[in-house]
Amino acid sequence: MAALNLSTMSQEEVIQAVVDHGGEGITRCIQCNACASVCPVAKAGFPLFGRLLFRKLQTGHYEEIIEDPSSWACQACNRCTEICPRDARPFEIVFAFRRMQAEELAISTSAFTPLMNLHATGHAVYADSAKELRQSVGLPELPETSVADEKAQQEIQTLLENGPMGELGIF
Amino acid sequence: MAKVGVYVCHCGSNIGGVVDVETVRKHAETLDDVTVSRENLFMCSDPGQEIIRQDIRDGLVDKVVVAACTPRTHEPIFRKVLEGEGLNKFFFEMANIRDQDSWVHAHDHDGATAKAQKIVDSAVAKAKHLMPLEEKYVDVTQAALVIGGGVAGIFSALELANMGNKVYLVEKDPSIGGVMAQLDKTFPTNDCSACILTPVMVEAGTHPNIEMLTYAEVDAVEGYIGNFDVKIRKKQSYIDWKKCTGCGDCADACPVRTPNEYNAGLDNRSAAYIHFPQAVPKKAVIDMESCINCGGRKIGSETRISKKTGKPILAPCERACPAEAIDRSKPLDPQGEILDVKVGTIVVATGYKVMEKDNFKSLAPDSPNVLTALQLERLISATGPTGGKFLRPSDNVKPKTINFLSCIGSRDERYHTHCSRVCCMYMIKQAKLLKEKYPDLQIYMHFMDVRTPGKDFDEYYTSALEMGIKIIRGRVGGIDMLLEDKLKVMAYDADLAQNIEIDSDLVVLATAIELQDDIKPLAQKLSLTLDGSGFFKELHPKLKPVETPVEGVFLAGCCQGPKDIPDTVAQAKGAAAAAAVPLAQGRVKIDPTISEVNRDKCSGCGICEPLCPYGAITMTKDADNHSRAIIEMTQCKGCGVCTTACPSAAIELHGYSENQIMAQIEALTL
Repeated sequence: MAALNLSTMSQEEVIQAVVDHGGEGITRCIQCNACASVCPVAKAGFPLFGRLLFRKLQTGHYEEIIEDPSSWACQACNRCTEICPRDARPFEIVFAFRRMQAEELAISTSAFTPLMNLHATGHAVYADSAKELRQSVGLPELPETSVADEKAQQEIQTLLENGPMGELGIF
Repeated sequence: MAKVGVYVCHCGSNIGGVVDVETVRKHAETLDDVTVSRENLFMCSDPGQEIIRQDIRDGLVDKVVVAACTPRTHEPIFRKVLEGEGLNKFFFEMANIRDQDSWVHAHDHDGATAKAQKIVDSAVAKAKHLMPLEEKYVDVTQAALVIGGGVAGIFSALELANMGNKVYLVEKDPSIGGVMAQLDKTFPTNDCSACILTPVMVEAGTHPNIEMLTYAEVDAVEGYIGNFDVKIRKKQSYIDWKKCTGCGDCADACPVRTPNEYNAGLDNRSAAYIHFPQAVPKKAVIDMESCINCGGRKIGSETRISKKTGKPILAPCERACPAEAIDRSKPLDPQGEILDVKVGTIVVATGYKVMEKDNFKSLAPDSPNVLTALQLERLISATGPTGGKFLRPSDNVKPKTINFLSCIGSRDERYHTHCSRVCCMYMIKQAKLLKEKYPDLQIYMHFMDVRTPGKDFDEYYTSALEMGIKIIRGRVGGIDMLLEDKLKVMAYDADLAQNIEIDSDLVVLATAIELQDDIKPLAQKLSLTLDGSGFFKELHPKLKPVETPVEGVFLAGCCQGPKDIPDTVAQAKGAAAAAAVPLAQGRVKIDPTISEVNRDKCSGCGICEPLCPYGAITMTKDADNHSRAIIEMTQCKGCGVCTTACPSAAIELHGYSENQIMAQIEALTL
C-alpha cells in the first residue's frame, strides 16, 4: 500500500461531516480499543470495526472506506456506548457514518432488502413464508400489525419518503 | 565468658517460607557461649524486641545475635534495644539469612537451612569477641551550600534561608533562573513561566540569609557532614559588579555577534551581555572567549592616548558604560577569584540540559526549520528572538503545518533508555498554545504513547485532541528536506496500520533530558555517583530520594532524574528540609566503626596514606621525630582499605577487628 499524504486531505471536513451526521464524539476518541473489545462487528471479523473506523475518519480517510460494508453489520447493541471511557458514544459515530454512506447510496445489500421491507410492510425483517405456518397453528394469516393494515403502511411510507431517505430515490 | 542470645526471625514467609527456622534455632542452642536461642515471626516487631529486652533484663544475655534481614535497615532498631537495656549497643551482630540466603536459594530448602546455620555460626563467633564502642559528636557549621540556581536551587535556598540558616547559592551563569527562565508558559495551567519565577528569583536575590554567588562554580569540596570546606571560583566577569547598574549600554555598544545561549542559539548576543531581561542579579559580563578586544584593548593593556584628540583610546564597552564599571587596563585575573566558605550541608541542584538536534542525523538537523522543543519555547516567547512572533526560522514566514516528534534520544538504546518524563506534556502545551493563537495551523504530534501522569495532565491532553490537534501513535523514523524549506515527515500511524507522510513547515524535536557534559568533575569533587541513566544517584530510590551516599549532601531537581516543575519544587523543599536537620541538631554523630592507628606498631611506611579514598590519613611526626600515620575520625568512613594494606597490622577497624574477622572465618570453614 502506498503511503498516503495526509497533508493534502481535508481532515477537518470529514470530521465536521461526521459531527453533522450525529457523531459528535469523534474528536474525543483516543483509540483505546475498548469499543473493539466488545464489538460484535469486530468479533465477526469485519475489517472496519468501530475503533478503526473512527481512526480512518479522524485522519480524513473517507473516499476509500465509503463502500465498506462493515458498518452495516452493527447490531446497535450499544455495548460500546456503555464502556467508552471518553463518552465518545461510538455507536452514534457508526450510525453517523451509515447515514453518510446512505447519502452516497453505498448501502450494503444486506441492509437494502430490510430497508425495502420496512417501506413495504413496516417491518425490516418480514418473511412471506410465515403465512402458512401461522395458518397451520390456527392463527390469522397476517399478524395484527402494519402488515395487515394498509393505512398504517401508507403512514410509514409517507414518513420514510418525506425524510432524508426519501431523497435517495430508492422507494 | 560471653552470654550470647540468638534470635532467629521468620520475616513472615521471607525467611520462614524457605529456611526451616526451628532447625536453625535448635542448632544455635548447641553453639559454645550461646545461652538462649529463640525464634519469632517478626523479630523487629514490638513483641519480638521485647523478647530480647526480657532476656537482657533477666541477665541471660550480654551479646545479641539476630538472624534476620539486612543490617542496612534493621541494625539501628536492635541496637536501640540493647541501648535501652543498658548494654553497649555495639554488642550486637546481625546474621543476614534473608538477602544472603532465603532470597537467593528460594528453591533449595535444605541447602538454605544449612547455609543459615553457617551464617549464624559466623555471627556467634564474632559476637563473642565484640568490644564496646563509643559514638562521638562534632559540631556543625551553621550554613548550607546550594549548587545550582535554577528553580530547584532557588527553592532549596529559600527554604533553608527561611529556617534561619545562612545559605550560599552558587550559579554558573550570570543570573539565577535556570531552564525555567527560558520557558514561555508552564503546563498544565499555561501560566507564564517568567511571571511565576521572577518574583521568586528576586526573593532569593534579596533574602538577608542568602549570599548569591552567580557566574561562579564549585572548585573543590573537602571535609564531611557538618564541616565542609568549599572553594568557590567566582568567574571573571571583567565588569565591576559593584558599579554595574544593569543598564545594558555595554551590550548595545559591543560589535561582537556570538550564539545566544539564552535563546538556545536561535539568535546572537554580544560579547558584553546581560544574561536575559529579568536577570537576577541584573549585571553584565564580558565573555572573553568571543571578545575581539576592540581598539587593541586587551585586558591589562596600558591605555594609549589618541594623538588626534588627546583623549584615551577606549573599547566601545568601556566608553558606553555610564557607571565606569569597565576598565580594561586593569590586570584582571582570567581565573577569577576563589572564595572559601564553610558549610554544614550541601544541596546539589545542578539541573540538566536537553540533547542538541545535531545528534539525530536522520531528522534533518541541518534544516533551520527543525527545532528542539527548547528552541520552540524561545521562538514563541515574548522575550525570544522574534518577540513572540511565530515565524519559520528559514524565511520568517508563518508556518501552516507543524509536526511534534517525541522520544528523540529518550527510550532509545542508542542514546538514553530513560523516559524524559516531561516531553509529552510540554509538547502538548506548545501545541495547545499555538492552536489557540492560530486555529488554522495544522498540528501533528507523533507519540509512541502519551504519558500524562500528573494532576490535571490527562485532561490537558484530551482537551488538545478536542481542539483538533492530531495525535498519531508511532515514532517518526526520518525527515527529508524538500524544496522551499519544506520538510517531509516520514511516519507511521499504528492505529491505521499505515505509513504516512506529512509535508511540514516546522518540525519540533522533544530531545532527551540529560546531565551536562561537564558535570562529572563536580560529581568527583562531591564523591557522588551516577545512576544507569547518567543522573546523580540517590541513596534509596523510594525511602531516601534526596539523600546521597555522601552524608550531608542532598539532591534536588533534574540532576537526580527528569521531572517537571511541581515535582522539582517539591523535591527542592524536601532536600532543604533534609539538609536543615544536621544544622538544627547542631552536632553530628561520628560512627565509631572506623579505623584507628596503633602508633606504637606503625612503622611510618606511608602505604596507607594514598590508598584512603577519603583523604582521612596523614603522616605526622611524633616526639621521636619519626613520621607515623594518623586517621582523622571525621573523615574515615570505615571502609577498611588501610587496615588490610598495613604491613605491620597497626591499623584496627573498630567493629571489624582481626580476631573478630578470624573467628568468623574459622566458624565458616570448620
